[in-house]
Amino acid sequence: MDLKELTVKKLQQGLAEREFSAREVTDEFLKSIETKDGEIGAYLSVFNDEARKDAAAVDRKIASGERPSGLSGVPFALKDNMLVEGAKTTAASKILENYVASYDGTVVTKLKQGGAIILGKTNMDEFAMGSSTENSAFQKTKNPRDLERVPGGSSGGSAAAVAAGEALVALGSDTGGSIRQPAAFCGVVGMKPTYGTVSRSGLIAMASSLDQIGPFTKTVEDAEEVFRGITGRDPLDATSVEYHYESIEPEDARNLTVGLPKEYFISGLSEEVEKGVQSAIEKFKKLGVRFKEISLPHTKYALSCYYIVMPAEVSSNLARFDGIRYSRNVEAGTLHDLYLKNRGEGFGAEVRRRILLGTFVLSAGYYDAYYAKAQKVRRLIADDFDAVFEDVDVVLTPTTPTGPFKFGERSGDPIQMYLSDVFTIPANMAGIPAIAIPVEGDKKLPIGFQLMGKHFEEDKLFALGKLYESN
Amino acid sequence: MLTKKDLEHLADLSQMHLKENEEEKLLRDLGGILGHFEELKELNTDDVLTMNGGTSSVNVWRSDDPEAAKLAGDRAKKGFPGTEDGYLEVPAVFDSSAD
Repeated sequence: MDLKELTVKKLQQGLAEREFSAREVTDEFLKSIETKDGEIGAYLSVFNDEARKDAAAVDRKIASGERPSGLSGVPFALKDNMLVEGAKTTAASKILENYVASYDGTVVTKLKQGGAIILGKTNMDEFAMGSSTENSAFQKTKNPRDLERVPGGSSGGSAAAVAAGEALVALGSDTGGSIRQPAAFCGVVGMKPTYGTVSRSGLIAMASSLDQIGPFTKTVEDAEEVFRGITGRDPLDATSVEYHYESIEPEDARNLTVGLPKEYFISGLSEEVEKGVQSAIEKFKKLGVRFKEISLPHTKYALSCYYIVMPAEVSSNLARFDGIRYSRNVEAGTLHDLYLKNRGEGFGAEVRRRILLGTFVLSAGYYDAYYAKAQKVRRLIADDFDAVFEDVDVVLTPTTPTGPFKFGERSGDPIQMYLSDVFTIPANMAGIPAIAIPVEGDKKLPIGFQLMGKHFEEDKLFALGKLYESN
Repeated sequence: MLTKKDLEHLADLSQMHLKENEEEKLLRDLGGILGHFEELKELNTDDVLTMNGGTSSVNVWRSDDPEAAKLAGDRAKKGFPGTEDGYLEVPAVFDSSAD
């Protein structure tokens, strides 16, 4: 079996035609993890026995005449901030080093019910805070395309697992680009759905008004299949919505109008990225897609706005890690000392920095100048998108300003690190769907372009993406 | 400008002990980040409504029906690091040596 060529679509066909069994596919992936992951470092934990058992159960169903569908038999990797009952879930933080989840997150329940195989949990920036996976408390993850470079982040382990053939599909979470940026860096497809379409129950919260779970896959077609399998209203997430996804034909995407916002094609964009994205635009034009120059005037404020709203939510969400619940690491005399020590020693530098920043922007005397101001600017950013979607169906931009950088290149300067998410953050601020797609062609390092759509118009993003990859 | 005293106050509010020698770097980093935020002042937002979440949905109360808790009894306890005789065990709250 050629794991490199395997897709969800091909897997479904192969299982249905009994070309191979789910157990064989799972074994292949577990073998791939065993041989490659020592070098790549994508996984924090691997579920060898459970994965084989689950695959055997899928095979029994197929043997009894059931037709495999959707995600059944598909080997998944999950970012280690998603709860799997009975399994360690660390969010790559020392403060959760020994935490074992007591229930399944809703996406995990959906995967299990759909017959998906969970191979293991992947490395990430601690609590999903970072853009290179260098903030993991446990290990480095290398970019499979160039081992001297970062895989991006925060879902770097999930992106690397798919890129290295150590999983067919992976789930990540995206708060400001944490799926799309590593997808672009590793040369895979990564998608952030509309806020509310995928339940966040059982996802360790970072910034609740921005967090959304989504897939990493090799093709857009696969991303659509996974999205279909994980979406839906969930009573355990009050922000989730009733939403029935229906796809549209890629051919119909030729009639769409795509906007090119001038604020995304600026100095700071590397030459390779600009060239790569232009080549994708040329291809779309040849396929008959119309383009239009547009403006999203508040784009330049999105980064500042995000770095106020997100830490504010972080400081509140991470208050629950008190050194008493979930995991107890450091003993101390009094309750107050226990908090101070467990939180001070259990959280890494970036997490501490964001908690302090969030506490600052919410504190009396600064709230209006920072937090309330940022929430107003957030509205302006969302309004920009509403206005352009009157005129165009989809917006196309580069996914990141540059290609993957080297280890240590940006870790000393937080603002330099934050800038690698400058093109992905606006979609989270506005709550709209966005997908990162690798630019085709042989390149030394991967380059991605991003499509952003109106709320709940994932169908157009997938259709355009499929049009691109199937021609 | 954020001072050392401000930083200590924030750490105290965050219930988080700062490491030795990290204050200087934190002050520098946070200062840089707060400096970056100054650009927001250019924008006139007097008549703009705040956006308070990721969705424009309005709050809808669910009906007040009893439901079985997803996490009850032993399952809930499994997520807690210390238990004894069916109770959750927590560390001492007060310093017993002090009056």
